[in-house]
Amino acid sequence: MALEARGVTIRFGGVVAVNGLDLDVRQGEIVALIGPNGAGKTTFINCVSGAYVPQSGRVTWKGGDILGLTPNALGQRGVSRTFQNVASLHDLTVLDIVRLGRSLGRGRTERRSLGLFTTRDPLAEELTETLLAPLGLADARHRPIQMLSYGHRKAVDLARAIAAEPELLLLDEPVAGLSSREAHELADVIRGVRERHGCTILMVEHKMDVVNRTCDRIVVMAAGSRIFDGSSDEVQVDPEVRRVYLGEP
Amino acid sequence: MKRAHFIVGVAVAAAVLAVTPFLDRYVAYLVTIVAISSIGALGLNLLTGLCGQISFAQAALMGIGAYTAGNLCNAGLGLFAIPLGGLAAATASVVIGLPALRLRGLYFAIATLAAQFILEYLFKILEPLTHGISGLLIRPPTVLGFAIQDDRAYARLAVALLFLVWSGIGVLRATNLGRSFLVVRENEIVARGMGIDVARTKFWAFLLSGFIAGIAGAMSGIASRLANPEAFSFALSVDYVAMIIVGGQGTLTGPLLGAAFVTLLPEAIQRIGELFNTPSILSALREFAFGMLIILFLIFEPLGLMAVVRKLRLRLTASKPGGKSPAATTEAV
Ligand SMILES: Nc1ncnc2c1ncn2[C@@H]1O[C@H](COP(=O)(O)OP(=O)(O)O)[C@@H](O)[C@H]1O
Ligand SMILES: [Mg+2]
Repeated sequence: MALEARGVTIRFGGVVAVNGLDLDVRQGEIVALIGPNGAGKTTFINCVSGAYVPQSGRVTWKGGDILGLTPNALGQRGVSRTFQNVASLHDLTVLDIVRLGRSLGRGRTERRSLGLFTTRDPLAEELTETLLAPLGLADARHRPIQMLSYGHRKAVDLARAIAAEPELLLLDEPVAGLSSREAHELADVIRGVRERHGCTILMVEHKMDVVNRTCDRIVVMAAGSRIFDGSSDEVQVDPEVRRVYLGEP
Repeated sequence: MKRAHFIVGVAVAAAVLAVTPFLDRYVAYLVTIVAISSIGALGLNLLTGLCGQISFAQAALMGIGAYTAGNLCNAGLGLFAIPLGGLAAATASVVIGLPALRLRGLYFAIATLAAQFILEYLFKILEPLTHGISGLLIRPPTVLGFAIQDDRAYARLAVALLFLVWSGIGVLRATNLGRSFLVVRENEIVARGMGIDVARTKFWAFLLSGFIAGIAGAMSGIASRLANPEAFSFALSVDYVAMIIVGGQGTLTGPLLGAAFVTLLPEAIQRIGELFNTPSILSALREFAFGMLIILFLIFEPLGLMAVVRKLRLRLTASKPGGKSPAATTEAV
């Protein structure tokens, strides 16, 4: 198993955000993590990406324990993520952000332009073009990120994470704020990343058409625990999932 | 930095260097002090405007640069004293900064305030190095046997240093480190989450901004041939904060405007005072005027003079067809 979480529990004061969660993602697999708001999906991603240390449980990546590692250290081990809410980053352009992303990864294809003091990075320019062209943003390289729409900013955040050339990519609602046509384009970009880099992907997403288009397997979370693990056909008819989502008895 | 900006910078620096030999001594003096405070403001702007750490220890760091360069100059090291003064201040800046790594915002500012007062005290009591309250006399540095002791020569040296620092920061802004500064400034938690090593990023900000402060201080000591505690007091630190606020934090050229404004304003007030024979009243007004000015800028134009310049430029170009769009002008200039 590439990513393996066992009994992960995260509490915030009295709130149990993640409750003994078990979750596996195989090498090269794209898994969707879905569930109602407040189910603990973001909290779990935060824990795998080094923002929180859980009160109990274990998370391993390629057999090595990764709990307690900083996001910086995780980046060096090939783990990178996107954010559900992108921060406002004044004065940074689209290209700035993609370059920064690349400099925080391991530089699998090319390391030279990743130093603290280098200013040129042709690979980042190329990546910016290919990743953002599907959204019609290929010419936006030098545009300040502040001037883009929320959805496009999220796409740039995705480009930043992909630019790190990760082996494990954690995505938190990557297509929120995009039109459904753009969402489908981005879904193809995400699949393309897996094809090109053999990357393993865990993706939180609500839009079921995007999930079906992108993912090999679906895990459903509710109230901090896993209630379903299976294919997209099975999830439609699962009684527990229907109860949680539709309030059926 | 855009190539066009760099070319303008080269042209301005070359023009100033070309006219300095013909300047009136007083004007040369003004050019020198504006260039020195511009260097100091660029240094503080690196830490505050780019990396988001407000510091009130700028004057003390400049003092370290001045005392170090002064002693080395007197020992016959010539102009090497200037970068060495920079190194000494860079070391001090890191020493002040590292314990403060865990502190954010106002708490960090207060820690630097404490550092300012401690260093001022050290300047007074470390007599063998600083000559106490009376100050350290600095002999003119010699280059190839020629002593640099003319106001016009100081102006040339200061402008050359300013150009180097300004272009250096322009390049830095376009490096991975420069980008990390900006993310840390906006949000440390996001920066950390992205995988930026926040502590390392701040370490570099302290180091580089301290180095630049040290160079400004060294140049200031050499040009005034004196380093004394009064010249590097808390009030000067406040002036530097004022410069970057008035000029426009985070921009490349704003600190230069702010430095010129804050440095020349008291000169202007003094001249006006002499004209009307009331110098003392007006100089008392100086601190008050500064305070008001900072408050007014913070309320009405937090982005400083640079934003005013941009708006003017927009207004000028907007009327022309094919003028620059607002998008093109938001990049840090
Ligand atoms: N930093 C935090 N402090 C306190 N409570 C939090 C924090 N982050 C998340 N929570 C709580 O944990 C629960 C799960 O939140 P979250 O992981 O954001 O859900 P999801 O992403 O599935 O919508 C919610 O009840 C939320 O209020
Ligand atoms: Mg969430």
